[in-house]
Amino acid sequence: MVRSYNDIVSKVLRGGVVASLVSIVVGIILIFIYGRADGFTISTLANVREPFAQQLRSSLLLPSNFLSGMIHLDGAYFIAVGLWILVFTPITVVVISLFEFAERKNIRYVVMSIIVLINLFVAMFVIR
Amino acid sequence: MVCIYLFPVIGAVGAGIEFLSIVGAGIIAGLLGSLTGLGGGTVLVPVLTLFYGIPIIFATGASLISTIATSAGSASAYVKQRIANVKIGIGLEIATTLGAIVGSLTLVYVRRSGFIWIIFVVFGIVMLSSLVPTIQRTAKEIPPLMKPDWTTRFFQLSGSYYDSKISKKVDYNGIRWWMGEIVMFFAGVISGLLGIGSGAMKVVGMDWAMNLPMKVTTTTSNFMIGITAATGSSIYWFQGYIQPFIAAATAIGVIIGSFFGTKILVRITNTNIRWIFFWVLAFLGFDMLLKGFYMEGIISISISEQFELSVVISVIMLLGLITYFRGKRRLSRG
Repeated sequence: MVRSYNDIVSKVLRGGVVASLVSIVVGIILIFIYGRADGFTISTLANVREPFAQQLRSSLLLPSNFLSGMIHLDGAYFIAVGLWILVFTPITVVVISLFEFAERKNIRYVVMSIIVLINLFVAMFVIR
Repeated sequence: MVCIYLFPVIGAVGAGIEFLSIVGAGIIAGLLGSLTGLGGGTVLVPVLTLFYGIPIIFATGASLISTIATSAGSASAYVKQRIANVKIGIGLEIATTLGAIVGSLTLVYVRRSGFIWIIFVVFGIVMLSSLVPTIQRTAKEIPPLMKPDWTTRFFQLSGSYYDSKISKKVDYNGIRWWMGEIVMFFAGVISGLLGIGSGAMKVVGMDWAMNLPMKVTTTTSNFMIGITAATGSSIYWFQGYIQPFIAAATAIGVIIGSFFGTKILVRITNTNIRWIFFWVLAFLGFDMLLKGFYMEGIISISISEQFELSVVISVIMLLGLITYFRGKRRLSRG
């Protein structure tokens, strides 16, 4: 592996964590400023012992609403975006590795990276 | 009239305290997770469920997402230092990502069927059984260089890294790739089912099955945990298992905790201190186990009695382990 590949991977991992944390912290600040998120009051949000059905949960925060939620300065969507940045950080590393293996004509590892990406794709878009 | 204005303020203060207390739980989990090498998630789930009363489904969701943060943070340094073998890691991810899908779907099934107590029991068992390989981890740093097998060549499992502790380059040949894949599949299942990184099992896969040096094993495992957890997290997200308020607090807390944990770890010269951390983990493992049995009505002792019993059993277990490992060390010296 060439020097730049390890450095890029390292930077992507660190950058992903930092970007995600920034978005999460902004989300929390917005929730405390406005006292609500996605229609739930701050008291309800913080009532973390409540049963599953009564809480603001991820299935209510659809990715298609992320942009409009952020435009409306809804803290829940900033947190959601931050958490998804975290999810995509390791995935980005697999994609970078795929290109690296392809450049080095390492066909076996190109195939293996593609299989890993297919598994991730299935988890994200196929299983509901 | 005053009440109308004060009510939201009181609500915000209460929420602020709750948020900070969950951040605190995350810090403790991150600290203990990195000091023992088990990872933040393994400590976070029992702490959130046993002491905060948070539904286990949200505890696993928050834990899994926090696991990605700690994995990415620490792997960043290891990849830069060229200790973690990204190539071997990605090859093994075929099995862990598949396992994570199976594990997450099993969790969905278990929750829908009302068998959530099983998660507590499995969690307790996995936590307790992870202790032995984690304690043993310090036993041998560099394995004897094995004769390469066909998988070494085919899957390009040879590599080297510079070990700053012994000031020399260490060469290694990974073997039995297929056996590593089998262990990794189960590591993925556990990760998806319990919302943890299952680093202990990944280490077993690479150390025991593939004969890789401990430094390569632990750092590559750290890198892999993020990809496995990302697979499980996607399924968790659409099932609603992630509560943003809890996940935000734990992600921040675990990152802070593991950052300081790594700093403290370097300074701890007395290995005996680590036994205290292992005792905490043994206690949490037993308490989870008892809670699971209690939920199903298999045992009927009160929560405070479960706590006391866990303390006693974990102390006995740890004393047994200390005696065993010290005896083993004495034998190897003799």
